[in-house]
Amino acid sequence: MSSVGIIANPASGTDIRRLVAYGSVFNNQEKVRIVRRILLGLEAAGVQQISYMPDYYGIVERALDALKTSMNILPLVFNAKADQRDSMRAAEILAQNGAGCIITLGGDGTNRVVAKGACNTPILPVSTGTNNVFPYMIEGTIAGLAAGLIAAGKVPQKEGTFTSTQLEVIVEQQLTDVAIVDAVVCDDIFIGSRAVWKMDKIKQVFLNRSSPASIGFSSIGGMLRSIAPHEPFSMVLELGQNGPTVTAPIAPGVVETVSVKNVRMMASGEEVALTHSPCVVALDGEREVEIKRGQQATIRLSTDGPLVVDVEQTMAYAMQKRIFASDVNIN
Amino acid sequence: MDLTNEQLLDMYVTMNKIRTFENRVAELFADGKIPGFVHLYVGEEAVATGVCASLTDQDYITSTHRGHGHLIAKGGDIKLMMAELFGKKTGYCKGKGGSMHIADLNLGIMGANGIVGGGPPLASGAALACQYLGNDGVAVCFFGDGASNQGTTHEAMNLATCWKLPVVFVNENNMYGISSCTLNSMCVPNIADRAAAYDMPGVVVDGNDVIAVCEAAAEGISRARQGKGPSLIECKTYRHRGHFEGDPCAYREDSELEEWKEKDPIPRLEQKLMEIELLTDAKINEIKSGLQKDMADAEQFAEESPFPDVSELTEDVYT
Amino acid sequence: MPNMNFAQALNDAHKVEMERDANIYVAGEDVGVYGGIFGVTAGLLDQFGDKRVKDTPITESAIVGTAVGAATAGLRPVIELMFVDFIGVALDQLYNQAAKMKYMFGGKAKIPMVLRMTCGAGIGAAAQHSQCLEAMFMHLPGLKVVMPSTPNDAKGLLIEAIRDDNPVVFLEHKMLYALEGEVAEGDFTIPFGQADIKREGQDVTIVATANMVHTALSAAEKLAADGISAEVVDPRTLYPLDEEGIIQSVKKTHRLVIVHEEVKFAGSGAEIAAIVAEKAFDYLDAPILRVAAPFCPVPFSQPLEQAFIPSEEEIIDAVKKVME
Ligand SMILES: Cc1ncc(C[n+]2csc(CCOP(=O)(O)OP(=O)(O)O)c2C)c(N)n1
Ligand SMILES: [Mg+2]
Repeated sequence: MSSVGIIANPASGTDIRRLVAYGSVFNNQEKVRIVRRILLGLEAAGVQQISYMPDYYGIVERALDALKTSMNILPLVFNAKADQRDSMRAAEILAQNGAGCIITLGGDGTNRVVAKGACNTPILPVSTGTNNVFPYMIEGTIAGLAAGLIAAGKVPQKEGTFTSTQLEVIVEQQLTDVAIVDAVVCDDIFIGSRAVWKMDKIKQVFLNRSSPASIGFSSIGGMLRSIAPHEPFSMVLELGQNGPTVTAPIAPGVVETVSVKNVRMMASGEEVALTHSPCVVALDGEREVEIKRGQQATIRLSTDGPLVVDVEQTMAYAMQKRIFASDVNIN
Repeated sequence: MDLTNEQLLDMYVTMNKIRTFENRVAELFADGKIPGFVHLYVGEEAVATGVCASLTDQDYITSTHRGHGHLIAKGGDIKLMMAELFGKKTGYCKGKGGSMHIADLNLGIMGANGIVGGGPPLASGAALACQYLGNDGVAVCFFGDGASNQGTTHEAMNLATCWKLPVVFVNENNMYGISSCTLNSMCVPNIADRAAAYDMPGVVVDGNDVIAVCEAAAEGISRARQGKGPSLIECKTYRHRGHFEGDPCAYREDSELEEWKEKDPIPRLEQKLMEIELLTDAKINEIKSGLQKDMADAEQFAEESPFPDVSELTEDVYT
Repeated sequence: MPNMNFAQALNDAHKVEMERDANIYVAGEDVGVYGGIFGVTAGLLDQFGDKRVKDTPITESAIVGTAVGAATAGLRPVIELMFVDFIGVALDQLYNQAAKMKYMFGGKAKIPMVLRMTCGAGIGAAAQHSQCLEAMFMHLPGLKVVMPSTPNDAKGLLIEAIRDDNPVVFLEHKMLYALEGEVAEGDFTIPFGQADIKREGQDVTIVATANMVHTALSAAEKLAADGISAEVVDPRTLYPLDEEGIIQSVKKTHRLVIVHEEVKFAGSGAEIAAIVAEKAFDYLDAPILRVAAPFCPVPFSQPLEQAFIPSEEEIIDAVKKVME
């Protein structure tokens, strides 16, 4: 039986970047409406079973309030903590239960934690956060259709998904955390309000994907060259003073010029040491890992990141196979 | 955020000062030394401390019924506070106000407030004065999750954006207004979500992390100072004690309290400051015993001070 | 008759009425799970469920306003505002909406609602949690104003208030909640506008309300030892006011002292004194005196608060003065 998981993060889209930058306001009522459309898309794709992460606001329950559906929709049962840990735990359980796909609603931050728990379950990330490189700005109905096609096996995984790379933070030889877009080394000792917005604090930037048309720190590299998420190399930039400059949209509404001391490419498996300690490493836009004075820390590129649904390709495959059409001739 | 060692230590001391004060008040209340209602701030110290770190004496705050922490963080004198709680003539308000009405206008403290939702319009008003007089001052409005449902709060926020007032609304979301849980009293998960309705930035921070609060408040306050208008900062936190002293707390689970105690803001900062060697066990002892002594002095001052004379009853009604 | 305290008597009145009339709902801050800050609504949520016993957000204006709307549309709300001081937040809904609606609509509207509020000093709750504001409500045409002093009166008057088709302001002095007394069982009402003689006497009439009834009674006891026989009259409702009952007593004693806890200036006693002066001047053997709080907010400090609250001694002094 085809089953899909939904992880909608009620806290995404509220962090300090609405104050220090011009981050969009993404209220939870809008997430409810998106989930409704996702559910309708999933149903149309033939999904029967939905499991979702329970949250204190009840995004999915509220979405169901105004829907009639014959799908079997149940919350995952675990002791929710109302923080990051919930998303990761939910992803782990969904992966264990053999979900065919996990749809996430959140930003890069949400997807990072889901990726940590999802194992090889494909993720279809829908953007409702702040700095969104990883998730798609996509209509919920389409997300539901595509996730449904993958979960039901109507589109084979090898046709409709790709494996993203990820950056691994290694502290004293221990794999400590991962990033799915960028890892930024800040001259700071506190995680504090999490976001990073003072460019003079940033010492190194690691990117496993970049594009000149994306927002956030990955855009700094993006102004120099593109890296697709599945390509097995990443870029490392050392920022400093008096070097050549790059101007890039580092946060919503914030276009900054930074001085780049050194740029290099990093191959998969390679480890690059952090130049600073103590420091704080921001993963996908949020300060997460504290490196204490004297600790050895490196960052490594891994090709074994999250499995991600490619919506365009999935839908293109559905078109070729006439999944949503009978024998129609185009004259 | 670049905080100097001195600033970090100051915040540590302030949080401990609030905690020590509140714990002592709890004991004094239980002993019958303090009458009336007292609402303690234990567990929420990071909010007042982190916010007031970016304020000067020229800036204003409006407070709530749970006001001791705001007062201490804004520089209030604990002797005068304690004397007020005892109802003594030497207290901040000559004994006329008590816990729910302590004010120090010289420090820009526009009073604790017995009316839930009473503060937000006052804060917008103080901000209007700052804007009008062009004196660079800002106003900070501390208000609870419960207060966020009052019409006055919404009216004050709307006017603040309409007039681009230099005010920061700091919500202390401790999940309860007496027995009423936010899950039942509002239909959005975050108070910050409401900011959008007034076209002001609204953000959520970990209210038990003094650094997080401090960073967000510094941004909101500097934004206000630069004339860019108001903002709303929601600090998620929890009160360790009952709504008021004597509240049996039958409406919440002990396990919830235990979880929040693990996120206690004071040990969190303490641990960090020890890690970076700003604090040592010896230094902590020195700070804590210093505070105990200050507290004992304040208590003695309050004890030994006279009650107001009955002839003062009708004074101070008019100027 | 069973013994209960004032809070239990009010609780009992709620139960009697809610069992009788399914259109009664109770709403207010902390009235459900908490059972009311002073315990008046304890157990109602369990017995009647959350459709009829509603915990509200902190939103006085809407608590009062929705009651006005619901009452106009057929329900009988019994709402609680915790402290009378909070009426400031909701005053418009009470005096521009509830009080005037029937009149403005040419008599068409019916607003059967009860607004319960705690008043009074005595526990160090300071200026925003201790006032008595009955005169303010008396001054608003369209409202009825009830202020009981005993558990039995509290129950009978609350049931009457719930059955009344007008908005009723029901004021409960917080120092009375623990007061015990015999309370009639089951369903009974005390009609509005009937003063109760709490102690009979010949020499002087003391009109007192709420907690002051008890201070007046103990003053009367002491006065009796001095050979002065004081009659203590409790109006129980300030609007409608039992003018006749008060005048009858004055006609008998020829002297009047009025006692209340709210401030003397423009207080409820001023109205009572004026009525007696207008209608029974010829029966008075001495000027009318009032014993009431000074013109200031309620102070926090205990000695000041005690000085604020009218005392037995002040009543005795006033009585002795009118007896001279
Ligand atoms: C206008 C008004 N309504 C009700 C109250 C009674 N009251 C005092 S504190 C409180 C709860 C306030 O909740 P919140 O704003 O969340 O602040 P917290 O107590 O949690 O700090 C209530 C209902 C009051 N003092 N003023
Ligand atoms: Mg609260």
